[in-house]
Parts: sequence; structure tokens; C-alpha cells
Amino acid sequence: MKKLEIEFTINGKKRSLSVKPNDLLINIIRNDLFLTGSKYGCGIGECGACTVLLNGEPVLSCLTLAATVDGKEITTIEGLAKGGKLHPMQIAFLKNAAVQCGFCTPSMILTATALLKENPNPTEDEIRDYMRGNICRCTGYVQIVKAIEEYAHGEKTN
Amino acid sequence: MDQFKYISPKTKEETLKILKEKRVNACIVAGCTNVLPDIKIKKISPKILVDITAIQELRGIDKKKDKICIGPLTTIAELINSELILKESKILIQAAEEFADPLVRNNATIGGNLVTASPAADMAVPLLTLDAFIKIESAREKREVKLKEFFLGPGKTVLQDDEMIVGIEFEPSDINKKGYFIKLGQRKAMAIAIASVAVNLEVKQNKISQIRVAAGSVAPIPIRLTGVEKFLANKAISNKLVEKAVNRVREEVEPISDIRASEEYRRYISGTLFKRAFNKLTN
Repeated sequence: MKKLEIEFTINGKKRSLSVKPNDLLINIIRNDLFLTGSKYGCGIGECGACTVLLNGEPVLSCLTLAATVDGKEITTIEGLAKGGKLHPMQIAFLKNAAVQCGFCTPSMILTATALLKENPNPTEDEIRDYMRGNICRCTGYVQIVKAIEEYAHGEKTN
Repeated sequence: MDQFKYISPKTKEETLKILKEKRVNACIVAGCTNVLPDIKIKKISPKILVDITAIQELRGIDKKKDKICIGPLTTIAELINSELILKESKILIQAAEEFADPLVRNNATIGGNLVTASPAADMAVPLLTLDAFIKIESAREKREVKLKEFFLGPGKTVLQDDEMIVGIEFEPSDINKKGYFIKLGQRKAMAIAIASVAVNLEVKQNKISQIRVAAGSVAPIPIRLTGVEKFLANKAISNKLVEKAVNRVREEVEPISDIRASEEYRRYISGTLFKRAFNKLTN
């Protein structure tokens, strides 16, 4: 099968790759770029573990063909920390013990940052509503919601 | 996953030419949120995926003369954020907010939801009560089809192999502003409707001057309940009338039993959902 040349920015770095038409974005990110923070969960868009930010919006990388990200900008969990310092959302998750097995955590954190960009001061209901596509099978939702609330609240008072 | 070729045409004309030449082998894709899972489970096996997301003219929401025009590539997230849609047809926003989850909504498109032709299609049910019609094009011709005549069966529409949806339109009108949509699912996120009901209603001096009722997941296709509409037209609103209409809804739907719910439950609950929607609009 003929390969396609694509060019995109991932975590601020420009990358060029040859991809097969049926390569999924999640597999390219994990297997070609070795960014293994994004997880392959259900593979059919039900669980949210593969969430990445595409041009700033959270999308499912298991339902995204690599060929379609040509010219676009991707952020994975590896791109959040700057200069060796964790992103405040990552700190909020740590502080609130919003991490159990960790499988859903990268996607939770990315979706949460997208929520706060859209709605800097969300209510608990709004957080739960926005986060509903990201599943935590350890069921640590209370701590996750608390972490996001704390981060939102903290930002407001700063 | 099966292999396929990938093409990303930049114009509508280019796409129609590809469809004309390749016919059944080509599958138009945009958000891919239905197509990729279907390829994975081998429900479909297209030879060529024609990604139309680069075609700007098929995107966006506009008011043109006496029509609200929605490009088929408009994502569900874009619909939710549209002030024009909020003003002209709030019912579409209600349905969009029940659609899958926020992650899927950033990719899934309104056109994709319609061509997939699921009996449960969340966008189809409110578009039916908005009396929407679908603009279709091929290299041969342009045509318009009423949405209620668009669906033929589960996964089947009137679209020919060489045709594509180029627009979804409805009239800005008082009745289209006054609608209510309710979906019953097993959970909030990613649920396929057990049943869904949309009602658009216009009342003059306590009389129903116009009513449109549609339902999803209760027939092989999303349907308009024209029997109920005829029964209610020009009648004065009363509790008794609503109870009678609820029974008529339960008679008119044609559900099946499947993994999500039984036929009996769907029949019962569609009447109840109708009542809730109707009461929301009249109280």
C-alpha cells in the first residue's frame, strides 16, 4: 500500500512521517514517535484513553487516521510539562490523589485542560458533563473532579 | 485493520468526479467516528476512503434568504456553539448536547450522522420536526429530498453510489424555534438511544395550531408520527387530550426488542417521552 507523506507539529516540534492510509493516529504517536502517554484502550471511541489535543480540541486518536493530521498541531500529555516543570493540572491531579492505576490519567488531564480553556470557571456539573467521555475504570471520579475544581479555583484566585 | 486507499479532494467537483468513477469502492468520510469502528469489525470494507474535510464550502452554518443552511461537515461541537442555531432551532442544540460525548462531538459531523442512517440517529430526530430537507449532488444532477423521505431502512438512504449530501436546510419559523428533544439512554455518555422523541409545537389561544412529532429507535428509521400530529391538530390543549395522544404515540411507533430494550418498553417509554416533551413546551 502506497505510503503518504505527512507533516505536523507535535508538542511544539515539527515532524515529517510516512504513514500508511490505514494507520491510526494513536499507533503513530505510540509506535513511531514513542510517546506512550496516550493509551490504546477500547479502540472504538468508547473509553477516551487515547485522547489527544488536535488544534487545541480533545479528540480520540484511535478514531483519527494519521493521514488526516497533515498540517495540524497535536498535543499529548508529554507536551504539557514545560522546562521540567509539571503543568498545574498535573500537579492538581497529584495533590488530589486523582491517579490510581494511571491508565486514564493522561487523557483525563488533556480533556480537563481543554475544558478550562473553553470554560475557565466550571461548576461541578459542568466538569462532570465535559469529562463524560473519559472513563476511569478505577472509578476515581470524585478525586478527578476535585482536582479540576481546585485547579480552576486556584487559577481564579491567582 | 483492512487496507484502503486514502484520498483527500479539495473541492466538491473533484469529489463528485471520484464518486462517479469509483462508485461502490469509494466511501466518503469526515469525522470517521462511525466508519473506522465499522471497518475494524469488518462491517464495511471500502477500497478507497474519500476524506472530504478539506472542502470548506461544505462546512458552516448560514442564514440565506429564507433558509437556515447547515453544511454537512459541520461538527456536532460547532452546532452546539452556534448562536444562529440557538436562536432558530434550540431543539438541535438539545440533541447535539446528548450526542455521544464531547470528544466524539469534535469530529463527528451532522452529515455523517444522517448518512449512517441509524434508526437511533440523534440529529435526525429533531431535524425531522424542523421539516428539514437534504440537498444532494452528483456529477449527473442536483436534487433535494425531504428528510422524512431520505431514510429507507437501517443504514440505507436514498443516496446513490455517486451522490453526496451538500447541505441540510430548514426554514426559520416560529414553530421551529419552539421544540423540545428528549433522549433516553442507559447512561449519559456514548449511549445509543433506547428511544428519543422530538416535538415542535405552535399554540394559538390554547389551541394547537401546528405540531410535529418525531421519534428515534422505535422503527427501522427515524420517523415522523403523522397519526399523532393529525390527531392533535387544531385541538384545545387539556390533560385528557395529552393522555389520548400518549396512547396514540404508543400505538403508532413500531419498535423491536434488542440488547438495549424490549419492544414493550420502547412502546411505553416513547409515549412517556412525548408527554414530557409536550408538557415542557406547554407549561
